[in-house]
Formats: sequence, C-alpha cells, structure tokens
Amino acid sequence: MTVPEGFIVWSVLAPALILFGFALLTLLLAVFQQDRGFLAGVALTGIAGAAVFAFHLLMEAQHGVAESGFGLRYLADAHASALTLVILLGTALAVLVGQGTLERMRLDHPEYFPLLLLSATGGVVMVSAGDLITLLLGLEILSLPVYVLAAWRSDLRQSQEAGLKYFLLGAFASALFIYGIALTYGAGGHFDYANLMAAFSASGFEANLVALLGGAFLLAGLGFKVALAPFHQWAPDVYTGAPTPVTTFMSVVVKTAAFGALLRIAATVFASLEPGVFGGLLPGVLVVLVGATLIVGNLGALLQPGVKRMLSYSAVAHAGYLGLAVLAAGDRGMAAAGFYLAAYTLMNAGVFAALTQVMDDDDRGDGIDRFAGLARSRPWLAAAMAVCLLSLAGIPPFAGFIGKVLVIQGAFGTGHGFLAALAILMSIVAVVYYARVVVAMYFREPSGAVRTQPSRSRPVGAAIAIAVIGTIVLGIAPGLWYTLLDRGQNLLVFVAAR
Amino acid sequence: MVPTEAYVALSGVLFSIGAVGVLTRRSAIMIFLSVELMLNAANLALVAYAYHWAGTGALTGISGQTAVFIILSVAAAEVAIGLGILVAIFRNRASTDVNALAEVRL
Repeated sequence: MTVPEGFIVWSVLAPALILFGFALLTLLLAVFQQDRGFLAGVALTGIAGAAVFAFHLLMEAQHGVAESGFGLRYLADAHASALTLVILLGTALAVLVGQGTLERMRLDHPEYFPLLLLSATGGVVMVSAGDLITLLLGLEILSLPVYVLAAWRSDLRQSQEAGLKYFLLGAFASALFIYGIALTYGAGGHFDYANLMAAFSASGFEANLVALLGGAFLLAGLGFKVALAPFHQWAPDVYTGAPTPVTTFMSVVVKTAAFGALLRIAATVFASLEPGVFGGLLPGVLVVLVGATLIVGNLGALLQPGVKRMLSYSAVAHAGYLGLAVLAAGDRGMAAAGFYLAAYTLMNAGVFAALTQVMDDDDRGDGIDRFAGLARSRPWLAAAMAVCLLSLAGIPPFAGFIGKVLVIQGAFGTGHGFLAALAILMSIVAVVYYARVVVAMYFREPSGAVRTQPSRSRPVGAAIAIAVIGTIVLGIAPGLWYTLLDRGQNLLVFVAAR
Repeated sequence: MVPTEAYVALSGVLFSIGAVGVLTRRSAIMIFLSVELMLNAANLALVAYAYHWAGTGALTGISGQTAVFIILSVAAAEVAIGLGILVAIFRNRASTDVNALAEVRL
C-alpha cells in the first residue's frame, strides 16, 4: 500500500479549526460580555459553521472522493464526517440545555461554552484520526475540559467527587492507552493506521504477541471512555454527580467520539492482524466485554431508584449495543454505529434535557415520585420524555428501534448470534425500567408531598423539541441518514480475505 | 549492547508498579503519581522501540522519539487540570484520601 505525502489539507481540518476558533472567541468575549444568551449564540454560530464544512465533506464522500490530510493521518471520509455532525448536534443540544438551566442552578459561569466547544474539537479530531498520536491528542483535548466540567459545582461534594473520580480513572485509562500506542509502535514501527496495516498484514510478520498486547491496551483505554464493563464503574457515579447539562454532553459526545475512534481502529488496525490464534483473540475479548456490558448495564439500571442514576446505567447498556457494531466494524458495523450514535444522541440528550425541567436546582430530586402525574401538570414535557424513553427502550416507530435492529443485524451477519440473542433479551429487560417512568408520568396520581418543578425555559424547550422531532423523523425515515453512511466512502477499511 | 527487549521488560515492570499503585494507594496524590509512573514507562518503551527501529534503518525511528515529547506535554496538561481539581476539593475538606469520598465508590 502506498501512503501519500503528508500535505496539509485545510478543508479537511475546517470543522475542527472552526470549533477551536470559536472556543477561543467565546472565551475572549466572556471577559467583556457577561450575557449568557449572547455567548450561547456565538457558540451555536461556531457549531453551525463547522457543520456546514462537515456536511460538505460528507457529500464529497458520497461521490467517492473522500478527502484526507497529512498523508492519511487525518481522515474526512463518510464515517468521520457523519460522526462529526453527530458530535456537533450533541454539542448544540448541550449548549441549549446549559443556556436554559445554568442560571437557575447558580452555575452561571460563562466558561461553560468555551469548554464545551474545546471538548467537541477533541471529539472531532478523535473521529477523524488516522494515526495513533492524532487520536491521543484528540482524546486528551476531549477529556481535559470534561474533567473540569464534571467537577464544576464547587458547592456540592457530589460534583467535585465525580470530577476527581473521573479525572483519576480517566488519567489511568490514558496511561493504558499510551502504553498500547508504545507497544503497537514497537510491533509495527509506525503510528499511522495505513502503515500499521501494511506492516501487520505483511507476510513474515513476527511480532504478533506485541501487536496483540498493544491492541488489548488500546481497547482497554478506549473501553474506559465508552464505559464498557468491567471498565464502566466510573460512569454511573460521574454521570449522576455531574451537573445535568454536563451529563447531557458527556453521555452523548464523549461516547460518540470514543466509539468513532474504536470503530476505526477495529476496522483497520485490529482487522489486519493475522487471523487465527492471535487475530482471533482480540474479537474474543471484545465479545466478552460487550456481553458483560449488556448484562451489567441493563440489570444495573433495573435496580436504581433514582431516574438520573437509572439513565446513567442505561448509558452503559447502550455502550453494549454499540459494542455489537464494533464487532462488525469491517462489515456494515461502521454505518450501523453511525446511525445508532445519531439516534442515541437525539434521544439521550432529549431525556436529560427533560430531566433538568423536573429536578431541583441543586441537581437533587430525581426520584420516580417526581414524575408521578407529570402528564397532567406538564403534558408536553411528559410526552417528549415518553418519546425519548420509548426510543431508548427500542420500541418502534422511534429511531432507537431502527438503531437496535441495525446493530443486532450486524452481529448476526458476522456470526455473533449468541451475543445478538443476548442483546435482544436484554432490550426486553430494558423496557421494564424505561416503562416504569412512563407509567409514573401517565398513570400515577401526583403525590402531595412532592412539589412540582415550575421551571420552564425556552432554550431547553428548543433542545427537547429538536431531540423529539429528530427521534421521530429518524424512526420513520431512517434512510435519510443511513444512506449517507452506507453509501459514503470510508478510507482505509481493511478488506483482505478474512 | 543491551537488547531492546531488556528496556521493554523494564518499562513493563515500571508500568505494573504504577498500575498496582493506582489500584492500592488511598491518597489521590499518590494515585496521580502512580499514573505518571505508568506514562513514563510508556515513554521508556517508545524510546527503546525508536532506537530499535532506527537500528533497522527504518525512517520512522525518529517518530517514536517525537511521540515521547507529545506524551510529556499531554502529561503536563493532565497535571495542571488534576491538581486544580485536587486543590478545589482540598479546600472544602482538607483531605485527599479517596476513601473519604463517601458519596462515590471508587
């Protein structure tokens, strides 16, 4: 395989550069202009600008002329551009939710917007990375702002502890990931995926054990970020402890970025390892992790009394379903995961946005009693929440159902029938805990002891509306988005006879 | 001449010491130091492999050494954020013992 020279291609870098520029701009403007609405507007402008370029790159990929920069080290193919759009969508929803709730939560610091944009920049770099060092930089740019955001509420122990815990485990995961990079470099002699694939698939490649160890460390490092069991333990505590607008961002954008990177590595570097004893081990490990994640996430969610903590476990469970797509990464898995991540971003951000309207100002009070009778006092909010929850549960005609069908199909297609059956079984379990909230909203009398939350906010309403409409549209006409993913050109995907 | 394997084995030992430290230490600062040890173990492995690949005549020997500098700067950024969070917590309760973090289970 010949690798082109490493030229800088500005159009490929445009989405990340625009986000970064607007992050600096909002930071600067925050010094002079304390008006939150104005800063949110600037942030949304930056996101829209980046989205225009990402959409252009996605269209290029449709016509089979996917671009790349730095000699295949920074890719802008269908996978990267589509996930960039998903990240931008998640960030925009988090900006709206933050704009609508931060003042009420007494967290009215303008740094929220630049930190979100910086983190999203890292996410965009991660999904576009075609090189392990690029990926590492993206991972750190993504993570560092989120550590700060998670620990943001300085008056609440829970939030600070969540921040510290996320930071310590995140740093540990980064160390595992970096050691994985070192070993992979030792085995293949390169950092970029194209040359690594050439080295690993060359005849007479000897360093299988080192490459396998490197792959295992890379998998563990990214497994932490996406919360695959047994690396998921931080997730429920951090998601619950962080301020809810931040949880909205973390649960969708961080997951999209880390899965984007994992899918790419699985489809390129891992896939080029020699099949048989060594190449077969890594998928085997992944099968165990995904199975464990499905069980732990869903059964964990079943046992939680608080709705926010239940949703945190549900985020772990969804990492399991996405893991099915990683197993099929070389096949249809990348497209399936791209669809699932878009649907997940819409429905999960929607449900967390709705949650901010029900919980107290200090991020407490997420008991299921809060939701009793919500359909009568806030009918629109209850309906939106019900749509998002049913979509998360995978009930047609919502987007979550199509997403689940696609990933389970992918798992069947690559011969993981047992895991697919487990996923189906677990999504039946999932219906129980999602439906519990819906039933409370529609069929239970409001208990007099709990005061209803009077807060209404227009930006949060807009975020919920976007999420609900998106969930319904993607559920009814999934082809609108899936065709772009499925027909678009992906660079580097390893297609040797396996 | 010391073979590359010896350096990599040493880095493996350092990495394991760091990992055990993360899992057993109770002070957040000591956990953090253990993570730094793991990062430097990875740097040692990178330098050793870079030397190895340079010895085989591959041009990419230099990229391994460059990666070490990138990882050093990444580690420095992590330190800045981590100590900031630690100071914020210490101000509230004057302890960095992770077992005192009652509301989260590490």
